[in-house]
Amino acid sequence: MSIYLQALLGGIATGAVYGLIALGLSLQFGVMKIINFAHGSFLMVAMYVTYYTCTNFGLHPLAAAPIAAVVLFFVGWACQRFFIDGIYRKESAREPIGVLIFTTGLWIFLDYFALALLGPDSRMIDSPWSNEVVIMGDLIFTYPQIAGFVIAALVTIGLVAFMRYTALGRAIRATGQDREAASVLGIDSKRVYQLSFAIGLGVLGIAGALLLPMYPVNPFVGDIFGMRAFVIVVLGGIGSIAGAFWGGIIVGILESVGSQVIPVTYAEALIFLLFLGVMYFRPSGLFGVEKE
Amino acid sequence: MTAQGTKHSLWGVLILVLAIVPLFTGSQYVLSIAVMTLLYAYLALSWNVLGGIAGQLSLGHSAYFGIGAYASTWFFVHMGISPWIGMWIGAALAIVAAVIVGLSSLHLRGAYFALATIASAMVIKTMVENADDLLGGPRGMEVTLLRDAPWQFQSTGKEFYYVIALVFVALALLINWRILRSRYGYYLAAVRNDQDAALALGVPTTRYKLYAAMISAAMTAIGGTFYAQFVLFVSPDKVFGANLGVVIAVVCIIGGRGTLWGPVLGALLLLPSEELARSFSGGLLGADMMLYGLLLMLVIWYEPRGLVAIFQRWFKRPVKQGVTK
Repeated sequence: MSIYLQALLGGIATGAVYGLIALGLSLQFGVMKIINFAHGSFLMVAMYVTYYTCTNFGLHPLAAAPIAAVVLFFVGWACQRFFIDGIYRKESAREPIGVLIFTTGLWIFLDYFALALLGPDSRMIDSPWSNEVVIMGDLIFTYPQIAGFVIAALVTIGLVAFMRYTALGRAIRATGQDREAASVLGIDSKRVYQLSFAIGLGVLGIAGALLLPMYPVNPFVGDIFGMRAFVIVVLGGIGSIAGAFWGGIIVGILESVGSQVIPVTYAEALIFLLFLGVMYFRPSGLFGVEKE
Repeated sequence: MTAQGTKHSLWGVLILVLAIVPLFTGSQYVLSIAVMTLLYAYLALSWNVLGGIAGQLSLGHSAYFGIGAYASTWFFVHMGISPWIGMWIGAALAIVAAVIVGLSSLHLRGAYFALATIASAMVIKTMVENADDLLGGPRGMEVTLLRDAPWQFQSTGKEFYYVIALVFVALALLINWRILRSRYGYYLAAVRNDQDAALALGVPTTRYKLYAAMISAAMTAIGGTFYAQFVLFVSPDKVFGANLGVVIAVVCIIGGRGTLWGPVLGALLLLPSEELARSFSGGLLGADMMLYGLLLMLVIWYEPRGLVAIFQRWFKRPVKQGVTK
């Protein structure tokens, strides 16, 4: 029994980090209605940034998190400012497919650029902290699991509060609901888009730093987590920040408990099947509210 | 002959000459690049029916390609059925798969549909990888080597495959042309441009999208059989890989979605430059795929409608200026 309880709680801990990965994606989709297919590759970039700051400067993985967040924030801002904005404005359609295709190109490019530059090896940070554990009765938790859960929860709460109570957060939500009406009220939608893309990637930077002690980084690590992030966004309801957190926890549990019950080679397919099932029966997500 | 007719027949002669040239180079290396270029032109044309003309962005066509490659190989290795017949079995199985995938995902739009196609392709890939006894699991299957057996879709000379690929591309162009010119093609264009408006005008959108998916899947599966016979080896990573599904779409999108010649142009640009990138980068890992990503970003950034639209813009510019003056 304690095997399953261990799997359940471990799944919740990693799931919270998955939720944090998906959060930025959900924010971008909610505000701009764009799907950023390069999201997983940006996660890979965040993990490499963390890896190299940790190994080169001897930093603690958690101390590297703010650095990764700042780097990714500016990457996101520049990406929106110089590329996506132009493509976005060329399209009048409600679902900007051009951005989706552009970010697909970015995804392929970043993955193989990392492969060419850094090689195919999986890298793990060499920190004694990553291997320390807390033992509670039959249950064992690693420090990265505990830190991952706590920080992911705090960041999610912080972002929900930011969106709800600050003027900027309200401006972002207003633009997401109705771009024209928001700009009539004097909100600069271009700036809002740049900021929400940048905030999404900044959060992803923290997620990358939290994930690295649990999962080694390689050029294609983003493919697995990027796909999972999409599943989570759909589960939680697109655009919902708290939904992304709960969706992450569901996927985390499914993965860790699922691999106790069925062969590991099938566990990945289980997540995709869940995705297809939700898309079929509840396209607005498990926690989504029917809108419009 | 009218001026328009002369222009068309000139183009026809040019294309014919270009198509025959690789046969006379006598280099098996050049021919194998030419065969792969034609294969991707064919695959992009197959994808075009669903992804271009009907505007449904599928990124999971690797599933149909893999089904075609595995079906003909399995029936050949285990039952001794010629791949020339096996490829139709593959096409039939791909249609079944397209109906199952389509019924569960074609009501989705844009990005959701794209995601659902990737997810479906990954589920099918996982099933094949786990079928150790039936399909060889992750190791895949080898096509029994017969050397020169044209009736078994095998030959030691690349010329054999080149001619077949040329015929495949010609037939795929014909299918695309027929669809584009038909009433059905206009319905699909309506679905692509505004689904709600099409639905309001009484176009049964889901059914028509499903037909497009079935045609597209069957054509892609036949391409899979061709690949299996050309390489004489199939494995889940090679024929079901997620990369492949994206690359098929990329070739068509760069060339020009929903156009007749766009998919061919895309393949003519991408495949030879991929080969150049591979040989000039000095074996740098991933240089070819980096180029794919970069070209995709550049083309979409410059002209989201692809190469065909870029060429049209270049050709039409002087005419427009003349009118305004």
